[in-house]
Amino acid sequence: MLVEAVRGAQRLAAVSREALRLGLAPGLPLADARARVPNLLVREHEPSADSALLARMAEDAQRWTPLVALDPPHGLMLDVTGCAHLFDGEAAMRERVLQRLRRGGFSARGSLAGTPEAARALARFGRAAVVPTGHEAEAVRPLSIAALELPEETALALRRAGFKRIGDLADRPSAPLTSRFGPELSTKLRRLLGREDVRITPERPLPTCSAERAFAEPISRSETIARVLRALIEQVCAQLEGRGEGGRAFEARFDRTDGAKRRIGAEAGRPLRDPEAIDRLFRERLDALADPLDPGFGFDSIVLSVLASEPLDSVQPTLDGRAVAENEVADLIDRLIARFGPARVARFVPVDTHDPVRAARLVPATVESREGEAWPRPEPGEPPTRPLHLLEPPEPVEAVAEVPDGPPIRFRWRRALHDVARAEGPERILPEWWRDRQTPARDYYRVEDARGRRFWLFREGQYEEGESPRWYLHGLFA
Amino acid sequence: MSAVPPYAELVAATNFSFLRGAAHPQHMVLTALLLGHTGLGIADRNTVAGVVRAYCALKDLREEGAPPPEKVRDGSGPGEYVFVEHPRTGAMPVARDELKVLAQAFKLVVGARLAFADGTPDIVVYPTDRAAWGRLCRLLSLGKRRAKKAGCVLTFDDLLADPSGLLLIVLPSQPFDGLSHLLGQVDEAAPGAVWLGATMHRRGDDRRRLARLKASAAAARVPLLATNDALYDEPGARDLQDVLTCIREKVTIHRAGRLLEVNAERHLKRPAEMARLFADAPEALEETQHLLSRIDFSLKELEYDYPEETVPPGWTAQAWLQEVTWRRAAIRYPDGVPSKVEALLKEELALIARLDYARYFLTILDIVRVAEDKGILCQGRGSAANSAVCYVLGITAVDPAEHDLLFARFISEERREPPDIDVDFEHERREEIIQHIYEKYGRERAGIAATVISYRPRSAMREVGKALGLSEDVTARLASTQWSSWGTDIKDAHVAQAGLDPHNPLIRQALDLARRLLGFPRHLSQHVGGFVLTRGRLDETVPIGNAAMKDRTFIEWDKDDIDATGLMKIDVLALGMLTCIRKSFDLMRRHGLGDLALHDVEPDDQAVYDMLCKADSLGVFQVESRAQMNMLPRLKPRKFYDLVIQVAIVRPGPIQGDMVHPYLRRRAKLETENYPSPSPEHGDEDELYQVLNKTLGVPLFQEQAMRLAMVAAKFSDTEANQLRRSMATFRHVGTIGHFETQMVERMVARGYERAFAQRCFDQIKGFGSYGFPESHAASFAKLVYVSSWIKCHHPAVFACALLNSQPMGFYAPAQIVRDAQEHGVEVRAVDVNHSFHDCTLEDAGGALALRLGFRQVDGLGEEAGASVVGHRRTGYSSVEDLARRTRLPARVLRRLADADAMRSMGLDRRNALWEVRRIPDNAPLPLFAAADARELGDEPAVDLAHMSLGEHVAADYQTLRLSLKAHPMQILRPLFEAERVLTCAEASARADGARARTAGIVLVRQRPGNGNAIFITLEDETGITNVVLWARLFEQFRREVMAARLLLVEGQVQKSPEGVVHLMAERVFDRTEILKQLSEVHEAAPEFARADEFVHPQQPRGASSHPRNVRVLPKSRDFH
Repeated sequence: MLVEAVRGAQRLAAVSREALRLGLAPGLPLADARARVPNLLVREHEPSADSALLARMAEDAQRWTPLVALDPPHGLMLDVTGCAHLFDGEAAMRERVLQRLRRGGFSARGSLAGTPEAARALARFGRAAVVPTGHEAEAVRPLSIAALELPEETALALRRAGFKRIGDLADRPSAPLTSRFGPELSTKLRRLLGREDVRITPERPLPTCSAERAFAEPISRSETIARVLRALIEQVCAQLEGRGEGGRAFEARFDRTDGAKRRIGAEAGRPLRDPEAIDRLFRERLDALADPLDPGFGFDSIVLSVLASEPLDSVQPTLDGRAVAENEVADLIDRLIARFGPARVARFVPVDTHDPVRAARLVPATVESREGEAWPRPEPGEPPTRPLHLLEPPEPVEAVAEVPDGPPIRFRWRRALHDVARAEGPERILPEWWRDRQTPARDYYRVEDARGRRFWLFREGQYEEGESPRWYLHGLFA
Repeated sequence: MSAVPPYAELVAATNFSFLRGAAHPQHMVLTALLLGHTGLGIADRNTVAGVVRAYCALKDLREEGAPPPEKVRDGSGPGEYVFVEHPRTGAMPVARDELKVLAQAFKLVVGARLAFADGTPDIVVYPTDRAAWGRLCRLLSLGKRRAKKAGCVLTFDDLLADPSGLLLIVLPSQPFDGLSHLLGQVDEAAPGAVWLGATMHRRGDDRRRLARLKASAAAARVPLLATNDALYDEPGARDLQDVLTCIREKVTIHRAGRLLEVNAERHLKRPAEMARLFADAPEALEETQHLLSRIDFSLKELEYDYPEETVPPGWTAQAWLQEVTWRRAAIRYPDGVPSKVEALLKEELALIARLDYARYFLTILDIVRVAEDKGILCQGRGSAANSAVCYVLGITAVDPAEHDLLFARFISEERREPPDIDVDFEHERREEIIQHIYEKYGRERAGIAATVISYRPRSAMREVGKALGLSEDVTARLASTQWSSWGTDIKDAHVAQAGLDPHNPLIRQALDLARRLLGFPRHLSQHVGGFVLTRGRLDETVPIGNAAMKDRTFIEWDKDDIDATGLMKIDVLALGMLTCIRKSFDLMRRHGLGDLALHDVEPDDQAVYDMLCKADSLGVFQVESRAQMNMLPRLKPRKFYDLVIQVAIVRPGPIQGDMVHPYLRRRAKLETENYPSPSPEHGDEDELYQVLNKTLGVPLFQEQAMRLAMVAAKFSDTEANQLRRSMATFRHVGTIGHFETQMVERMVARGYERAFAQRCFDQIKGFGSYGFPESHAASFAKLVYVSSWIKCHHPAVFACALLNSQPMGFYAPAQIVRDAQEHGVEVRAVDVNHSFHDCTLEDAGGALALRLGFRQVDGLGEEAGASVVGHRRTGYSSVEDLARRTRLPARVLRRLADADAMRSMGLDRRNALWEVRRIPDNAPLPLFAAADARELGDEPAVDLAHMSLGEHVAADYQTLRLSLKAHPMQILRPLFEAERVLTCAEASARADGARARTAGIVLVRQRPGNGNAIFITLEDETGITNVVLWARLFEQFRREVMAARLLLVEGQVQKSPEGVVHLMAERVFDRTEILKQLSEVHEAAPEFARADEFVHPQQPRGASSHPRNVRVLPKSRDFH
């Protein structure tokens, strides 16, 4: 059961068959549904995920025909003109299409008809079937007028006028109908009855750049392969430049003479269109392959495509070369990832919390930095309150301090005794109670010893609570 | 160790700093007291809403030596107070007397923390005297009036305009460069009255910050003040405060990050700890004492003065009141004022003179008179009905000549509380009265009282769940674990019922937090109609702000605060039945049926009582509910006082106290009246007879319950007063326990039976929720009688007025119409050639027929109806004619056609619609319009399919929510007959104990009181069936009950000797699907009656649950 918020109230957006059997229908407020059936399994409705899934299914459907259109929210429209014979005729093709979807765990209904409207109406409101061209009218006449999918107001008016089925409308003169229910009705009706046809607008193919080189003689020497690849990369980069984009994911496909295909992918942490950088990525990938590229009797073609791209403006390096330096870090990351895999290259991101241990988090370096993620900066003119180097876990120290919450006077860390010359604190940090209710509060002190070294110490617990609290060194300031 | 310097926290927020402060004001006071502070400064964010509570808490501590009842653990006897909720402050239980002494010396100062809209740091403001308090209130009023709903927009300049008499504490969150300049500015505006507040919250750089603040203060020659900027009383409240922050910022706790406080330091701290923290600036501690000593203002200085406009020049208020009273008395009693009444009036006037309440009465009189002038019906309710003066002034309608009134219940000399008069007005026209009051007294002198909207289990659970990041699913389940959102506790069992583990740590935590959040104020809202009027400026007593409703302004204090500060409140309430009665009177006048007013409806008409005894009371005031209808044939009212009892008896008080059945038995003479007596040595054996004889020895009214406590358990006035107060808060707080022991034990000690004593107390407990005082019941009974009289003698008038007063009452128009038909009224359909916006009465050969108005058509505005009527002249001949003359948009015409309102033009629904849809939805072409000619050409006739009766009925329900053509069940009858399903009438005719299967449209579903049973009312073409479904069966059939519009029920007929029939359901089937058979394409969705609890949930789901009851909750002071 999926719910969505409609004007402040949670309403059912989609329900399972079981729920439908219990009389719970989309549009019902969740509270009402719960009042009827208390133990419902409820998830948030995610229309964007649905449409993403539908888009993926549309992509998959390109196996049947290149002309695939989305029919949101939950339909696909396939123009199979001239394709059916490839799949043993229309009926068999419909069966195969539906079977493939069912194997994927979807329940699907499909109809084949001469016009998209008729096919859609039959699939959604009638007995799904294959309708031979020219017989649409016959097939749709028994359908309820709901199949016209008119606005609710018009549909109700039609019902009030006594029209229940498409057939009731089909034989009427269209003028009185049009003057009452608008031209939309007549148009829909004509299309549904197969009297007018509109082609579907297929999904635009994915905007990819690719470059291909076919060879009269298969090539097998790695130097040649590398050279060809480099040339292809340059071609692709030129295309990318033309589009003002950079590639985030690349794929090189090596077609062997025996028909075997080998695909090697490479991803970048930022949009790339520097041939050198892309080339370097592929070199890293090829070097790191556990299963080296085996040319066999040679490759007869190599295709390089860009699978994902993003806008990329040409960067004018600043005078101090800063932008270049940043790019170099990014390049380094990409190369490290290409060699060691994305899981093994990480970077720190700040976490919005008071807890110093959790204040930084490691994420895969490829993860985009999110907005608003900024490392806390000290107030201008104020000293840093967090050490540069954090000891994890904190190291116990012996300390002498003023009771109850004075800073340490001297402490012994790793057998060395430090006399505290200056100290500031306490900064009392409590554990986050929703994770941890046991750990006592920590009182942190920034201290400087007689030799000018600065430490971050804390006392766990309070003197006043009976047992004497323990001291730890948690970090070192630069 | 040296002596600890004295300290007082002067920057303390309470939970009236909404979603910031995490402790109740009374807890802050108590904790500060126990920690040894010399005083406390309560300053909430741009409000003084919480200060009265703090003030009352301190007053209680001074008088009782005990904290307000909330702090007392349930069951502990008087004098054995344990401060259970403060273990962590380390407070040892202090003896009561010791606490009293501490409280005497404790100084509470009240003010507000101004948060500015222009980026100025917060400034806490304390008025030093009454005048300065007025300035603060006006400042806050200014900010609140300027802001939209629930905000306060103040700028630094607003404060600087006139800060005289105010003490100011500047509270920068960080020291900053311009600070000394700012301090200088403030100091210039308020010389010598400025402090710089410093806090030591263990943030690491405390000492450095303190040094900088010290320097800034020194540079501006402003003293530094030590504070802890407290948000809660003790450190354990940190988690709750974090949750509040999450709710405020609309984030989950996991994402809140540094929006939360880093530690739990913002609690009230011991003076010793403050001294240690401020070791670098001991003078800052001393300043707290200095500041405290400068304040010479307490809320008790707010004195109230009644407005004087109502007294004509040359008269004193008292003399004028007497003059008016006697003048009016002469009019009320044209045959001479009865001596009983005369004596009463004299007595009351004397008391009014002694207490100086004349102006109060005159103010009410003025309002009532305005209503009379405007032709708005009104009637006083509640304890005011105990006053003969109120009766002769026309404020109430309970005639003192006929009833024994107890003026002392209304105003008592020893209570010295201002009187409280509640007046009901017609619900449709109350706003006129409200605006009159604003106009007459001005926005700065009149304001509506506030209602503090607090967290209830449902809302607390939902918000906490959201803050903790629980899934929507779990949160909703937790929140919906209770039927009622009126309870005060979330029980583990309820959680388990929802299929969640109450011992799961996360659930546990959520529950714990929700429990603690319970009762926290969430925001202020306006009271339903309690007006505060003053002689001087009200906005100098309490800030006034805008309500969410247009043209409404309300003050920051609720009715308890108003009581505590001795302000006077007049309740201007709305009552639908008054609208209905006035409309009835108007209709009667128009149709020559007499000219009546509330008090001159013929009394004691036996025909009316005959009707009521048959439970024929649909639409009648109060006694129309299912429970009341069941009671009528049992109680058999034969005189007015019976109605008073009828109104009062179907209430949780008498029901929980098990008083109903004894009363009925005694009334039916199945049991003798007996009056328990105390042991002879303890007093008059007739002592209870005096209290209870009117109700046959069974206490039914609130007054009686309280008299019982005083007479039988010898409660003193003070104790009775406490009991009364704790009853008032009982439903909020749930601490009445120690009174139980007190009352029961004392009664037992005086020789009463324990069981009887316990029953008496149980009833008092019931009254704590909802019970009626006698005078209130009498006021209502009057309306019951009047509405019954109209229904009995003029059923068409009554139905018409009732329909024109919708929405009100328990029933939907469909039932009202049907009831009228059953009473022989011809009901005519909506028609463009006959109807008006309202329903009207038409002559039908001597009788009156009810013509439904356009108001019954869904989605048709009043203007549309007016336009149809306005252009009608001699009638419309065709759709085109109608369209051309009215120029109504096509959408409206379609609605009219859809409602089958064109039959007089020879068009049924289908044909009318066909015609109407042809009318283009735009202005006519100028040429045609000028010629007033037909625009549409002729068109070949179209042969439309015949519309069946079923289709018409279904469409009628869709457009009108009722059908005059047939009952849906009538059309479906053959189907049900085939299944051997009985009609409702047949089922009701079966013998007691017989089995029956019946089906009908679901009108009402209710789950009253303790929720043991569900009541369902089914309707078919023959009548209704009352179904009772036990709760355990409900769980089994929950889906059917909650979803079905058409229900089939199998069960056993249960018939009482009085002929009240119930069907005890055993099996229930949802047959809603069958409604589709009416019409393939039109889904008839019959409407639930307004009393249905699931469609129209009612806030306090009391036993005889009804939305009106929210407004008729008795005032706590209706008895003593």
